[in-house]
Amino acid sequence: MAAMITATAYTLASLGKNSVIPPRILPFLAVLLLVLMSAHIGVRWLAQGADSTLLPVAVLLNGLGYVMIARLSERLAGLQTTWTFIGVACFIAVLFLVQRVNDLARYKWTFFFFGAGLLLLPMVPGIGFSSGGARIWVSVGPINFQPGEFAKLALALFFAGYLSENRELISAGTWKVGRLNLPEPRHLLPLLTAWGFSVVVMVGQKDLGSSLLFFTLFIVMVWVATEKTSFLVIGLGLFVAGATAAYFMFDHVQTRFAIWLDPWSRYEAKGFQIAQAMYALGSGGVSGTGLGLGDPTRIPEAKNDFIFAAIGEEMGLFGAAAILIAFLLLIGAGLRTAMRTHRPFEKLLAVGLTTILGTQAFIIIGGVIRVVPLTGITLPFVSYGGSSLVANYVLLALLIRVSDSSARRLGEVPNTATSGERFAVRRAIWKSKRHPNDQDDQS
Amino acid sequence: MNSRIRHLALAMIILYVILFVQLNVIQVGRKNTLDSDTRNTRQTVRDYNDPRGDIRTKDGVVIATSIRNESGSEFEWQRTYPKGDLYSSVTGYFTFAYGATQLEKTQNDILAGRTVEQQIKGIGSLFNGQNTTGSVQTTLDSRIQQAAKDALGKREGSVVVIEPSTGAIKAMWSYPTYDPNLVAVQDDELAGDVLRYLDSMPGKPLLANAYQERYMPGSTFKVITAAGALDAGLINSESLWEDESEFLPPQTNDPIQNYANKVCGGDLAEVFRRSCNTPFARTAIALGPQKMVDIAQSFGIGEVVPFDLPRAVSSQFGDVDYFKENLPLLGIGGFGQGNTQMVPLHMAMVAASIANKGMMMKPYVVAATYDHGGTVLRRTSPTVWKTPMSSSTSALLTELMIGVVNEGTAKCCMSLANGVQAAAKTGTAQLNAAGEPQSSHAWMIAFAPAQAPRYAIVVMLKGTTAEISAGTGGTLAGPIAKKVLDIALTR
Repeated sequence: MAAMITATAYTLASLGKNSVIPPRILPFLAVLLLVLMSAHIGVRWLAQGADSTLLPVAVLLNGLGYVMIARLSERLAGLQTTWTFIGVACFIAVLFLVQRVNDLARYKWTFFFFGAGLLLLPMVPGIGFSSGGARIWVSVGPINFQPGEFAKLALALFFAGYLSENRELISAGTWKVGRLNLPEPRHLLPLLTAWGFSVVVMVGQKDLGSSLLFFTLFIVMVWVATEKTSFLVIGLGLFVAGATAAYFMFDHVQTRFAIWLDPWSRYEAKGFQIAQAMYALGSGGVSGTGLGLGDPTRIPEAKNDFIFAAIGEEMGLFGAAAILIAFLLLIGAGLRTAMRTHRPFEKLLAVGLTTILGTQAFIIIGGVIRVVPLTGITLPFVSYGGSSLVANYVLLALLIRVSDSSARRLGEVPNTATSGERFAVRRAIWKSKRHPNDQDDQS
Repeated sequence: MNSRIRHLALAMIILYVILFVQLNVIQVGRKNTLDSDTRNTRQTVRDYNDPRGDIRTKDGVVIATSIRNESGSEFEWQRTYPKGDLYSSVTGYFTFAYGATQLEKTQNDILAGRTVEQQIKGIGSLFNGQNTTGSVQTTLDSRIQQAAKDALGKREGSVVVIEPSTGAIKAMWSYPTYDPNLVAVQDDELAGDVLRYLDSMPGKPLLANAYQERYMPGSTFKVITAAGALDAGLINSESLWEDESEFLPPQTNDPIQNYANKVCGGDLAEVFRRSCNTPFARTAIALGPQKMVDIAQSFGIGEVVPFDLPRAVSSQFGDVDYFKENLPLLGIGGFGQGNTQMVPLHMAMVAASIANKGMMMKPYVVAATYDHGGTVLRRTSPTVWKTPMSSSTSALLTELMIGVVNEGTAKCCMSLANGVQAAAKTGTAQLNAAGEPQSSHAWMIAFAPAQAPRYAIVVMLKGTTAEISAGTGGTLAGPIAKKVLDIALTR
């Protein structure tokens, strides 16, 4: 696995060297390699039984994105290195702190309020602000971040916790409305509240991408948890209703839709970005122009939402397909993790986290290449952006932790006590030595 | 729950397969459509940012080259034209936003190293980092080009020098012109302003007048009428015309007059060297509309001059049906007035065909193209375009044109240095109708040495000033032709 990371990073370095990317990229890549190696060591140490595809594939995406960002802007590459560092640090920290993933289920309401608070944060006057048309930013002192990136994790944790407890109640459907068997309203309420949030996000923050992501997450998790297809149908209906309402209520939704159908006639205005992305992908062709030899700086926001077009231009169909395959591998590994574990909470958490990754990548890639209307959202691990990178590394750490704990239970790796448990045991022994009577009472 | 997760996996796979299919549609299926979209500036930018080979004269002077910009510029390379305006009508310009013209346009693939041949040869350059640019060697002679510019001075007009045996252009200069360095600037807006300004100026500096404009040729056209009538057997060296100052053609009451209304006549040599109008009007009418139009066509009149620079135009004479109704205009056309319009380059080719035993060569300005290593990619081989006259007729016309230099309308000004004999024909194309202020183009076509011609030349001065309009082809264009030919022939 380490060899794979090294080889990947080395290939990226040599690709960078052969192009017009400045020579300073080599130290950058050395630092990057170091950081990613430490992530790998972190996994070997803290989560020995984890699925072995998750980290390398995420690192590959991170590396490809990094090379592309470095090629677009040296300054941003420096920042992205910092963010990668922080992301990996959070990754190791989460692996260290969350050693028994099932414990998280207890904090589901904390996650709910935490996630809801984060979601609403950008709408708070004074600290929330708009950039690029969407009000999804929060500014606290010198730090600007997108709380939505973390909110999606919190909501996935909440859904997993809530549904694993109440899924039978919800699917039983004891509330009869006409011929329909519906779950008790009080079981449905928290979920409907969560759905309400996605609407609030869409209306209040003009962030269609995140709204769609939350909604998909919600529907998929309810559907998997209850095993009732009717939820999928109801969800789809709600989506169609919501989308139709949004189309007629908001100008920017209509514009997005019109650009999706025909960016060319709006070339001078809103269609410019998509048109440039099309030109970029076209000029890349099958094999790409070669790194540093294309012209991706023509695409507005190439470093961000449109990084996929930049990769498609310079690395061609091969490079772009590699990104797609990498995401499919992540999805595969994530869902395999979900199938292997027997605990409903872990199962649902793995499904939720994988759905976030897979759907988010699909929404933005599909937006860039005109499969779906464009909604601004980052490409996980690839796009430039601190909040996104850190949040996705945390997501990855949780997935790896779920994968590891099921491997432990299946006996694939020795199920040794965690450091926290060892500490508790030691404390208990120490206590028993001082108060032998207590020990007797407990036994 | 596992079956739902399997369904989810399947759905995800389907979604990503859709992405992959759409990616193929864009990157493979619609690639050509996207690349050729006019709003897609990627190819232009790539051309503009790539190194680009030199354009040189035949004697090795670099007339267009690319120099590396200092780091930090928007573009890595800057196209420059070391000789300023001197070669602009041949090199053209190369800009980012406004495309390219002339050789910069037609030889773009060679200069940028993008021909298949260069790409194959240049595969090795992928590894050693060398570029694959090519270079273009023109047929131009830097001394003759400079002489043409100096001799014409600030008068509007054109000078073209051709090698008669090959059609190679040795000099091509038009005034007014422009400095391509002012257009090939990095600032798109500035380039646009310069181009719009140049476009609005009188004299059309952006047009290479020598081959992109046509003018009334006046008496220089008489070589064409004479050549056709001689080949048709209508006239010969013994033909005689009575002295007269004017001639009344059919279908009109308005007589055709000689220049300055002089009494003029005699044998062919005399009417040719004195440039009488009425004998050529009579000859043209005697040949008739069909025959005259055939003659014009045999010289390539009516066809776009087959030049290797873009946007050449065609000379014009008129069509048969029109002349049948307007015989007086056919007569006037016989000495290059009326509707007759000649491209200066084409008139040089007419002189060259007389010098080349009646064969008119295709004019060309690209001598050869080279790859980065200096190996020839393509060399232009001279080809005959038209054979408008027999070699005996060309020999007789040469004698007639020697007469023009020694005793006729060019006697003032065409005796070359070192006693080299020139052959020439003057032209003074009257643009004004009777009673209007005088306005005329001054022409001279010539070649030298007369018996073993090395250079043919056309000099055309536009009748835009009173000075030119008051003069004649001999007195105005003659000295220019002499200066240029003297420098060309003195090694």
